[in-house]
Amino acid sequence: MIGKQASPPLTPVQVAWLGALLVSAQWPLWGHILIWNAVAGAVLVFARVALPPQWRALTRHRRWLLPLLAIAGALGIRTELGYFVARDPCVQFLYLLVGIKFIESRDTRDGTLLICLALFLSLTQFFYLQTIGAALSTVPVLLALGGTLASLRGGAPAAASDWRALLRSTTRLILQGIPLAALLFVLFPRLAGPLWGSPTEAGARSGLSDTMRPGSISELSLSDAVAFRVDFNGRPPPPAQRYWRGPVLSRFDGREWRAVYKLLPGKFVPRQVRPIEYTVTLEPHGKVWLFALEHPSALPRSPGNDPLSPAGNEIAYLTYDQQLVAKAAVVQAVRYTQRSSLRDSYPGTDDNPRESLQLPRNNPRTLAFAKEMREGVDSDRAYVNAVLKWFHNEPFVYTLSPPLLDRDPVDGFLFDTRRGFCEHYAGAFTVLLRAAGIPARVVTGYQGGEMNLDGDYMIVRQSDAHAWTEALLDGQWQRFDPTAAVAPSRIERGLGAALPAGEQVPYFARLEMTWIKSLRLKWDSVNYQWQRGVVGFNIERQRDLLAGFGLEDARPWQLVAVVAGAVFIWGALLLGAARLRRSRVDTEVVLWNALCSRLGRAGLARAPEEGPLAYTRRAAKRWPQWASVLARIGERYAQLHYGPLDPRRDQMIEELRTGVDALPRPRALNEASRSTSAAKESPETVE
Amino acid sequence: MTTLGIAGLRTQARSWNARVRQRVWRLAPGDLDRVVLHHSRIFILPTRRGLALMATLATMLLTSMNYALSLGFALTFLAGGMVAAGLLATFRNLAGLAASPLGAGEAFAGGDLEFTLSLASGSRQRIGITVAGRQGLPNSVDLPPGATRPVALSIPAPKRGHLGLGRISLSSDFPLGIWRAWAYVHFPLTGTVFPAPEAGAPPLPPGRHGSYVGRSSRLADTELAGLRDYERGDALNRIAWKAVARGAGWYSKQFEGTGGGGMLELHWLELPAGADTETRLSRFTTWILAAERAARPFSLHIPGTVLSTGQGAAHRRAALTALALFPPDDR
Repeated sequence: MIGKQASPPLTPVQVAWLGALLVSAQWPLWGHILIWNAVAGAVLVFARVALPPQWRALTRHRRWLLPLLAIAGALGIRTELGYFVARDPCVQFLYLLVGIKFIESRDTRDGTLLICLALFLSLTQFFYLQTIGAALSTVPVLLALGGTLASLRGGAPAAASDWRALLRSTTRLILQGIPLAALLFVLFPRLAGPLWGSPTEAGARSGLSDTMRPGSISELSLSDAVAFRVDFNGRPPPPAQRYWRGPVLSRFDGREWRAVYKLLPGKFVPRQVRPIEYTVTLEPHGKVWLFALEHPSALPRSPGNDPLSPAGNEIAYLTYDQQLVAKAAVVQAVRYTQRSSLRDSYPGTDDNPRESLQLPRNNPRTLAFAKEMREGVDSDRAYVNAVLKWFHNEPFVYTLSPPLLDRDPVDGFLFDTRRGFCEHYAGAFTVLLRAAGIPARVVTGYQGGEMNLDGDYMIVRQSDAHAWTEALLDGQWQRFDPTAAVAPSRIERGLGAALPAGEQVPYFARLEMTWIKSLRLKWDSVNYQWQRGVVGFNIERQRDLLAGFGLEDARPWQLVAVVAGAVFIWGALLLGAARLRRSRVDTEVVLWNALCSRLGRAGLARAPEEGPLAYTRRAAKRWPQWASVLARIGERYAQLHYGPLDPRRDQMIEELRTGVDALPRPRALNEASRSTSAAKESPETVE
Repeated sequence: MTTLGIAGLRTQARSWNARVRQRVWRLAPGDLDRVVLHHSRIFILPTRRGLALMATLATMLLTSMNYALSLGFALTFLAGGMVAAGLLATFRNLAGLAASPLGAGEAFAGGDLEFTLSLASGSRQRIGITVAGRQGLPNSVDLPPGATRPVALSIPAPKRGHLGLGRISLSSDFPLGIWRAWAYVHFPLTGTVFPAPEAGAPPLPPGRHGSYVGRSSRLADTELAGLRDYERGDALNRIAWKAVARGAGWYSKQFEGTGGGGMLELHWLELPAGADTETRLSRFTTWILAAERAARPFSLHIPGTVLSTGQGAAHRRAALTALALFPPDDR
């Protein structure tokens, strides 16, 4: 309709709004991007808002400056990250780009482009973090978005520069849009998988790894971060049975234990005891394994699905060594329902003796010790018990900060230092078993978990990371925990109870329940609900929710009809609300009624047929010292309510309000009048 | 019988079609009086900025779907909710606004003809209401609640004759500038465009001495030439108020021009034969304006219209209107 038109240049007010929008979109990313990039983008935005125009002329006369800056930024990002055509570098570049574009922006068309870029940029923070804080950080973005749009609209300069009014009207619009947004959030179809590419993400996350060397688990144990949370369908198991099985490590190079990946299918343990059922909400750890109590008796399912038809919803495999391996890396929080039989052994054969007996040549003292000890007993089981007893009797110390050992670390640990954390005990114990010809391997995972009574769920933290051993005895893979032989309280009561006094223990692993700790547990419960209800709202939870409304089999057009109907009602309510507001009782009536009831309580009720002027005149006779105020009130009310629409209406309402406020409370009114009347000795006061 | 029936249907369909077209486009001046805008008249579409914003929201939605970003969905839908609420706010800003025709002005061809409307805001505040005609600069107003304001609209008037206001649009993109709501209103307001005065026209021809000009003396232009009896329609500033104040009766002052005083006869046939119609009309326009300045009464004789000798604003307007509406050359 309108041809090419020169867009009006940006005014300082519009530039300020754009700056606010860009800053509010940029700052949540500061923790996730390269530091120099964060600084450069912020400085560019600041420069456009704050620097005088002659500085910007610098870029206008040297047109190559900004493209050069962009290219340099892109190269810098490419160099630091090692790649460019991927999600993270693009986020970094977009962050820088909005600053560069802002510097050279001149007219409102540039403003439109910047609004769009900033809005998208504020979405990218959710690639990295979807916490409550991250969600709140978009509130300023939305406010600034509305303000910027309104200021770019133009109109009277006075109206556009009143930023408070713009914020107020934007807030109103956002609030009005919330019901619609909530409806769409719930009903908009979620996808089971990505549309393009793979939403995996580089970047280290804390958690167990598929290797274990001295120090790796004790390092992890210093972290309070949540590994996963568990809702039990029934009572949680006792602490001693809370062995959450994770990666199984069988290859040992003398120093480091390593997982062997073989996707041989496994068999579930036979059901001898009633399985326990629970739902795990696993924080993303970027690896493939899922955690289950030993030992899983079924494959994990997405929660809420029909248990009778789990086909198509399997999210993991069971391997031959009883590991649950997810089909895709856990890059975002995942929820699954799991069943386990609580037992410490499962039937097995020595499926791969070379692997579960493999030992390197170093650590000669350990090998000799094992051979000697095995010869002293008559069975493998007696040997295992003898070794555990030896651990228990010898002066071993359970500590988070063991001394460093370089060559033959197992020898050094068993015979010299005797100070170690669970990875030392599990590793050395497995070596001792293998040296005696017993197939054995290291199992890592988590041991323990704390009930959060606020939310009635269990939190398992990184500080619960643990390592133990399983050995093949009499056709059963049997769990042995050498740490329990050294520090039994680790298993029963957790890390805080097992470590000697004076050791640095992560906050939540400590035993005492301070109010700070209970407060933080409450906060964790809020976070958990957030994680479960908002961030983890996916296709399954959507299906559950729809099922709750009897819409589980709804066809797409039915959902569209629901949304359309709701949108219609929403619009009708909003437009109707405007009409209602119009017919709402006017301010002057409210004030007048307040006055009438006050005078009524003072003993002078208004007769139903009495008009405002007559009534105030009568009141003025009764309280002559307020006569002028009363007269003004009556006059103003009559003008406002019965007179023609006056442009000074607001001012008149204010006058009416001041008048009504000036009158004292009923009792004070009567007392004041009594005293003056008494002074005048009027006979009327005798009542 | 059947052909008649079909023909009847056809006429009916045609009239129905015309009614719909009128309802949508308001091409005919069908709004005779005050028009209150409501939903059947108000159109609303996104502006360019609105389209850009929606494209961004669509991209954000796709990204949220691909990466399963729950909070991405939340942000997208919150911004989308704001856009939708903005639509309603834009609509509300226009709905209930009342427009009435006030009047049309006069202009000489080549100038701007000013039309006046009145806008009444009704119960709510109206912000950034833009009134635009077919051509000419749009006019933007803000109205407080309960206010009625005149709004002037200047329409270019290139040709003499009648000029209708035509269809106007009342529009607004308040509050966010991402939606534009508009309504067409077509008042039957018509103004008259007088012929453009001829540039470099010859001076006024000498006049004939009328009965009352004898009292005047020949003096320079704009100098007081004398008094004559007051006639209805004489300009107020020409009345000899001192005489009125003395009680001497009502007189009008007469001024003298160099081109010869006295009554002027503007005669179509006295113009040079070579001049075409428009030139003649322009020259008469110039002369009528000059005669008015010189306070000389004039009569007008053009084919189809004869105006007897007279003076004053009404006379002048009648003469100029006659010129404005003179049928154009068919050649």
